[in-house]
Amino acid sequence: MNKSFIGLIVVSTIFLIYATGFYTNFQTDSALEIVDFSIDQPEIENSVPPNPERIPLYGDLHVHTKYSFDAYIFGVTATPYDAYRYAKGEAIKHPLGFDMKLREPLDFYAVTDHGFYMGMIENYADTSSEMSKKEWTKPMHNINRPENVTIESLGERTDLFSSVLSQAIVDPYPYWHPKLWKAWFTNNIQVALQSFDYDVHKSAWADVANAAEEFNKPGEFTTFIGYEFTTSTDVEGGNLHRNVIFDSSKAPIRPWTRIDSLNPEDLWTWMDGLRDKGVDSLAMPHNSNGSNGQMFEVETFRGNPISIEYAEKRMRNEPVVEMTQVKGTSDTHPLLSPDDEWADFEIMDKRVGSRPPTYSMPQGGYVRDAYLRGLTLEWEGRGNPYKFGLIGSSDTHTGAGGFDENNYWSKAGVLDGTDMGRGSVPLTQDRIEQLEEYAELYDQPISIQDIEGRTYADVGFDQWSASGLAVAWAEENTRDSIFQAFKRKETFATTGTRMAVRFFAGFDMQSIDMNSEDMVKNAYAKGVTMGADLFSQDNQTPQFLVWAQRDKLGAPLQRVQIIKGWVENASGTPKEKVYDVACSDGLTVDPITNRCPDNGAKVNINDCSISSDVGAVELKTTWVDPDFDPTIKAFYYVRVLENPTCRWSTWDALKAGVKPRPDLDETIQERAWSSPIWYIPESRKLDIIPL
Amino acid sequence: MNPRIVAFFVIGLIIFILDIGFNSEQDSKDIYISDQELTSLLSAWKSQVGRPPSDEEIVSIINNFVQEEILYREALLLELDQEDRIIKRRLAQKITFLKQETIPGDPSQEELENFFNLNKDDYFVPATYSFSHHYFSKESNAKERATKAFNDYQTNGTELIGDPFFLGKNFYQNSSNEIKKNFGELFFSAIENLSINEWSGPHESAFGQHIILLKEVKNGFSPPLEKVLIKVQQDYLSQAQDKAIDEYINEIRSQYRVIINPDYKF
Repeated sequence: MNKSFIGLIVVSTIFLIYATGFYTNFQTDSALEIVDFSIDQPEIENSVPPNPERIPLYGDLHVHTKYSFDAYIFGVTATPYDAYRYAKGEAIKHPLGFDMKLREPLDFYAVTDHGFYMGMIENYADTSSEMSKKEWTKPMHNINRPENVTIESLGERTDLFSSVLSQAIVDPYPYWHPKLWKAWFTNNIQVALQSFDYDVHKSAWADVANAAEEFNKPGEFTTFIGYEFTTSTDVEGGNLHRNVIFDSSKAPIRPWTRIDSLNPEDLWTWMDGLRDKGVDSLAMPHNSNGSNGQMFEVETFRGNPISIEYAEKRMRNEPVVEMTQVKGTSDTHPLLSPDDEWADFEIMDKRVGSRPPTYSMPQGGYVRDAYLRGLTLEWEGRGNPYKFGLIGSSDTHTGAGGFDENNYWSKAGVLDGTDMGRGSVPLTQDRIEQLEEYAELYDQPISIQDIEGRTYADVGFDQWSASGLAVAWAEENTRDSIFQAFKRKETFATTGTRMAVRFFAGFDMQSIDMNSEDMVKNAYAKGVTMGADLFSQDNQTPQFLVWAQRDKLGAPLQRVQIIKGWVENASGTPKEKVYDVACSDGLTVDPITNRCPDNGAKVNINDCSISSDVGAVELKTTWVDPDFDPTIKAFYYVRVLENPTCRWSTWDALKAGVKPRPDLDETIQERAWSSPIWYIPESRKLDIIPL
Repeated sequence: MNPRIVAFFVIGLIIFILDIGFNSEQDSKDIYISDQELTSLLSAWKSQVGRPPSDEEIVSIINNFVQEEILYREALLLELDQEDRIIKRRLAQKITFLKQETIPGDPSQEELENFFNLNKDDYFVPATYSFSHHYFSKESNAKERATKAFNDYQTNGTELIGDPFFLGKNFYQNSSNEIKKNFGELFFSAIENLSINEWSGPHESAFGQHIILLKEVKNGFSPPLEKVLIKVQQDYLSQAQDKAIDEYINEIRSQYRVIINPDYKF
């Protein structure tokens, strides 16, 4: 018998089994197998009762370590254990040898390595592994030996990242190979790939989970088992990445990855399946700014119209979105919000991972636009899939998020760990020659640019940011309490600052004494808070209550704004408006322009010092929408702005003793955004139950 | 001499000579695959694929093994293993694992107790503070208002009334880290020096002035061994492993002499 004859029999047998529906009896779904990763821990007596008025807990839910394919190539050898040590305040090493340390510890942290090929690159690099015997792994052998983790290895690493990897990892086993069968029987396509070792992958995932378990200390420090689902559209490379976290010590035996499916709807199906088995999880999209408008599309992944079922499924699985991180902020874009003077903030307008860097369409890529699209879809009777809350996180690939402008190492290890590599400081002649050498050696375009007579690296890292943090309003620092805060969207995002903001809406807010100790208790009792719906009560006008507190170590507050979006009933036209509602230094909002007067806060670019006598430690107010129409659905979210401070690129220049790069913003205004409150014109015919 | 012993020597010598004669060259060209080796190859294959290999596959498994062995031996003949950083590191790693595994099994109760007593600091449960405070916001004359309020309270017993504080008024069993996180270092250093159940102030923070009532300090304490037994066992084991390596290195290090060019310019 020749091989093609056997092949024919095999194929027709599979077809027969499939066609008759018997296949379900043979196939198991390996991704739905649940493992309890909990470890023996000494019991901690937690006698502190939960705080019903809730406390703001600060964390980062987007952290990569050596198990991520790109991080390992960037020279990162930090483990998930190192990452958690960093979050608790210890210093850990950057690949280039310097210490990374937080200003103060965080309350929660989740290591979220790329699920796709998790742990595999380290395995290729290890010359004692099975995989390393394959010819194409050679360029990766021992790539992170200590003497090779240097600036000089940058060309080699960039080349590996952009070409070698993508060519090597797609080859499946021939059709007769037992691994191909195993892949089919266990519904685990990755097993069919010659470059994949399932045992290595599973043990990397188990190690990620074990680290989370080891560091989770109820009452003190919370971790989540999690990973990144790194998918994209097959056309245009639209970034559809999202992080997945699990609610307990129980998690699937392996992460569901882009090899299983590129379609996020399939991820949600899987998450629904896990939920049926008692494992709750949530997915958090990020870098919608680099999705070429596809993160918040008005159609499904396959191009079908969005339906109520789609909207419900998406909201069940994706209650919050990461709207600010190292690769820019996705609040809004100057083209989308021409009347918002603060829209031009840390804009990263390139598609994620595109080579050469390609422009990313803003429409459908920013959260304010998404909220409007959600209202529009709802207006059309197709449900609202974009009714999410907001968080920030870092997306660091060194295990350690950099949140402070003057203590920043970007995220890509060796690639952007130096000021010259990030493009904030002119290149020395040596570095220019080095880059020219790589360009020739690896047949790449040379990535340098001349700006006003100086030569800088042209790598896109100049658009990146020292951002951001996820903040949850939780009763106590436990997994359950924080997870529930995400589910009810009682969260806010910050650009790395530890300011805090409370936001309530109701119809009797102005009766609350703003100077009373019971203010928060009353606000919870009389209204709803961020992330919730406010249902109409006899067409009354809602009143909003905002209270913001500065970061004790950051800059003072400048103003509090409420951003409103709505869709006109008759035409379905989306509209938005930004209202200043509280000003620092006793200033009052101009009722015509809805703006605070300038508080005169200044930054001295020569030493980055700031005005010491202006700005507020806290701002609080109640507010009524002057343009309120009780028949129109609308969303309201808060944006709190600090006084201006130096941007990281200015700090880099200052430390290097050179002039800041003239085409970059010298200063920024650190900020926080609350999750919205949605006003719903229909009354719910029920008493509003405080959350 | 006992002739039997002589006979043994003679036989031994003959065997030795024969062995040299027959095996001197061929020996290095024999690839002997033991039963255990075969079993482990096949079972590794089976565990990865999920079924036993077919005859054809067995042939290819053995061929791969043989090929690797041949290349390995040829490499040895060419002394490619010499001065190879990766091989050195791998061997060093192997002996490290070996030495780590040589530590005796479960520690006795006494060993654990000794270890626990030596490392009590690692299991220390830090102090907590319960307190209330009246807050005077920096937004309106914090210092002045706080000083007046406190004076009025002390002289006339006037009720203390401040501004609401963002995180509330009463704090229950907060650790030093929590207090520093919520109020800053300055505020914590004030708390540390207060006496119980006595209003004190005004004390400064980044947010304004505070008049503080420290209600309770739970001193830090070392929990009994039973409470932290699992952690102690884990720590004991990992320390014992490190110690085994260190001892091993120290023991043989004295046999080595390190020579570095004294004129080398670093």
